[in-house]
Amino acid sequence: MPPKPHRVLLDRVSGYADEAAAYMRRRRVARQPFARLYYSEGRASEHAADSLAGAELFAAAGRLVEVAGKRPGAGKRQR
Amino acid sequence: MPDGQTSEAVSGEAAASALAYLTEMSPDLRGGAILDSEGAVLAASGQPERWRDDAAALLAAADEAGGEPVEQLHIASEQGEVFAARQSGLVALAVTDRFALASLLFFDMRAILRDLAEGGDGKGRDGEKGADAA
Repeated sequence: MPPKPHRVLLDRVSGYADEAAAYMRRRRVARQPFARLYYSEGRASEHAADSLAGAELFAAAGRLVEVAGKRPGAGKRQR
Repeated sequence: MPDGQTSEAVSGEAAASALAYLTEMSPDLRGGAILDSEGAVLAASGQPERWRDDAAALLAAADEAGGEPVEQLHIASEQGEVFAARQSGLVALAVTDRFALASLLFFDMRAILRDLAEGGDGKGRDGEKGADAA
């Protein structure tokens, strides 16, 4: 028996809502700042922005971002 | 050659050429610098004194954070991303837009540093091929 038409509509709407929620979740994770350090023997460490070492790393990195300035032609990217 | 040593002194001209090549290869790059083992700027995209001081502060903070010298670092913030790689006694720094391809950039940075340490101009074989073609 085919599903009732309103069920099809509800399934489609909830499908889009799930997709949007997953996209937002991925975007939130990807946008979180991080500081990762890699060592010669293959070890790596990550420092949170609210830790002492992390705060120093983010401050120092922020100054370098400031020195580098904007990319030439930034904002003129064609879609 | 053990890592941490260059076979000969790298000229500023070669470092500038390497930095230009890195900029050409990385469309997300905003600026960068190449430093020698003493922390002196061999080439920078602008304001060498500020690159020297700020890079020294960043590398010191990174070395202190782990209790040993870092080989490479990647810091991402809302404003942009900072990459640093140490190879053959040289340091490459790059600042990019958000969401740059980290592994590619590290590969390119290491390649130019290796080539500089071997007496090249950072372009390696690709550069030679390009010169031959032109």
